[in-house]
Amino acid sequence: MKGFIRGFFLVLAVLPLVWVLYSSLKPGVDILGSPWSFPTSFRWQNYGKAWTEAGIGSAFGNSLIVTIGTLAILMPISAMAAYVLARYKFHGNRLIFTAFLGGMMFPHFLIIVPLFLLLRDWHSLDTLHGLILVYVAYSLSFTIFVLSGFFESLPDELAQAAMLDGCSDAATFWRVMLPLAKPGLLVTAIFDAIGLWNEYSLALVLLPGADHRTLPLGIANLTMTQQYQADWGALFAGLVISMAPVMAVYWIFKDRIYEAMLAGSIK
Amino acid sequence: MKRTGFIVGFLAPAVLIYLALVLVPLGQALIFSAYQWRGVSAKRKFVGADNFRELAGDHDFLRSVTNNLWLLVGAGVVIIAVSLVVAHLTAAPGKSAKLLRGFSLVPQMVSLVAVAVLWQFIFNPEGLLNATLRGVGLSSWTRTWLGDSHFALAGVGVAFAWYAVGFYALLFGAGLRNIPAEVNEAAELDGSQGWHRFAQITWPMLWSVKRTAITYLVINVMNTFALVFLMTRGGPDRASDTMLTYLYEQAFVNSKFGYATAVAVGNFAVAMILSLAILFFLRRDPTSSQNRSEA
Repeated sequence: MKGFIRGFFLVLAVLPLVWVLYSSLKPGVDILGSPWSFPTSFRWQNYGKAWTEAGIGSAFGNSLIVTIGTLAILMPISAMAAYVLARYKFHGNRLIFTAFLGGMMFPHFLIIVPLFLLLRDWHSLDTLHGLILVYVAYSLSFTIFVLSGFFESLPDELAQAAMLDGCSDAATFWRVMLPLAKPGLLVTAIFDAIGLWNEYSLALVLLPGADHRTLPLGIANLTMTQQYQADWGALFAGLVISMAPVMAVYWIFKDRIYEAMLAGSIK
Repeated sequence: MKRTGFIVGFLAPAVLIYLALVLVPLGQALIFSAYQWRGVSAKRKFVGADNFRELAGDHDFLRSVTNNLWLLVGAGVVIIAVSLVVAHLTAAPGKSAKLLRGFSLVPQMVSLVAVAVLWQFIFNPEGLLNATLRGVGLSSWTRTWLGDSHFALAGVGVAFAWYAVGFYALLFGAGLRNIPAEVNEAAELDGSQGWHRFAQITWPMLWSVKRTAITYLVINVMNTFALVFLMTRGGPDRASDTMLTYLYEQAFVNSKFGYATAVAVGNFAVAMILSLAILFFLRRDPTSSQNRSEA
C-alpha cells in the first residue's frame, strides 16, 4: 500500500516533465492537438530549430556566461568574508554578519526599482556584466551564511600550526583553510549555480532588450512569439535544453544539495 | 596592525558590493516611496505619505493583497498536507523511499519559467487537463481554467504547490528524523498508531519545523511573481493579480516608480506582520511546557 502511494506521488512529480520530454519530439501542432499522444516519428529538428532560429543557443551561451561569471566573483569574495566572520573576533563582526543575513529575509523585488535606476545610471542596463554584479550581490547572503558554517567547523589546530610555521593570516587562508573547505565550497557553488541558471525576475527587469537574453527570458519570449504560428515544437525542445543541465547536476549531487537546502532552516 | 589590514581587506569586496547593490537601494526604496516620480530625475516631487494613502484606497492593490492571502492559505494548506504525507513516505529506509525523495525535489530544480509554461499547457483549453476530462467522459467539467476568473488564481496555486512540495517534504522529513528515538519507541509500546499517533505525538513534536515551514511559505508566497506574470498576467480582470505583478505593472508599464516602491514597502509590511504573527502564535514548544493537561 505504501509502495503504491509512493508511486502515485512519484508520478505526480515527474509525469509533467516526462510529458515535456516526449512532446518535444512531436510535431509542434500536435502538442495541443492531441496532447497525450506519443510521437510516431521523432522530430529531432525541433531541437535544431530551438537552438538556432528560436535563439535558445545564444540564450544558453548567455546563461553560461552569467552563471560562471557570477560564481567566479562570488565564491572567492564570499569565502574570504565568511572566513573572517567565522574565525576572527573583532568589533562589528556580529553587525556585519547580521546585515548579510538580513538579505535572505526580504524579497529582492522590494528594491527592484532603485536597482533598475542604479544600473541605468551606471549604463549597465541590458548588459551581462550588470546582471552578473547584481547576481553576485544577491547571492552573498546565502553563500556567506553557509560557508561561515563550514569554516566554523574546521579544527583550530590546523590554522594555529600554519601560523606557527610562519604563514600570514592570508597565507593560512589560501594554503590551508580554503582547501579544507573545498567540499563546502562545492555544495554552495552548485546550489547557487542552479538558482542563477533558473533566475527570471531580476533578469526580466535588468535585461529589457533582445540581445542578451538568458535562458529563462528566452523561453518566456518563445511562448509569445510561437503563439502566432501555433507551432510549439521549438518551445518544448527549448524547455528540455534549459532543464537538462540542472537535472544532470541535481542527480549527481542530490544528497549534498539536500544539505544546502536545509542549511539554516533546521536549527 | 597587520591583522586589522587583513580583516578589512578580506571583508571589503563583499561588503562594498553588498552595500552598493543591496543596502543602499533598500534605503532608496524607502525614500522613493515618498515621492511622485516617473523615473526622469528632474521630475521628482516629494509627496510624503500620499502614495501610501492612495495605496490604502487603491482597489486594484487591495485585490492583489487579498489574492496573495488566498494563495497563502489555499496553496499553504495543500503544500503542508501533501508534504507531510511525502515526508512520512520518504522517512522509511529502503530504495523506493529514497527514489521518491530524489524525484519529489525534481520540480524544485526547474526554473519558474518552465513551471509556468508547463502548467499553462496543462490548463490550456486544448491542453492536457481538458483532453483528459474529455477522455474519461467528463466533458462538462472542462473549463478555460486560467482564462476563467474563478479558477485562474487556483491554477497558479496548483502550479506553485507542484513546484514547492518537494522542499517542504524535505524540511518535514528532517524534522521527523529529529524526533528522538525514545519518543517513537514509547509511542510504539503504548500502541499509538496511525492518525492518533500523528495527531498526538508527531505533529506537536514538529513544532519548530512547522514554524520554519510557515515562515518560508509566507516569504515565498508574498514573493510570487514569475508564475502569475507568465501564466495569467494577473488576469482575467485582475482575478489572479498579486502584489508583485501589480508592482511590476506600476513600475515598468506605467513608469510610476514612486508609487511602485510604495507597493513594495506595503508588500514587505504585510510579510513582516504575518511573520511576526507566526512567531507569536508558534512561540512555545508545546512538548516541553506545562500545557499538557489532557495527557
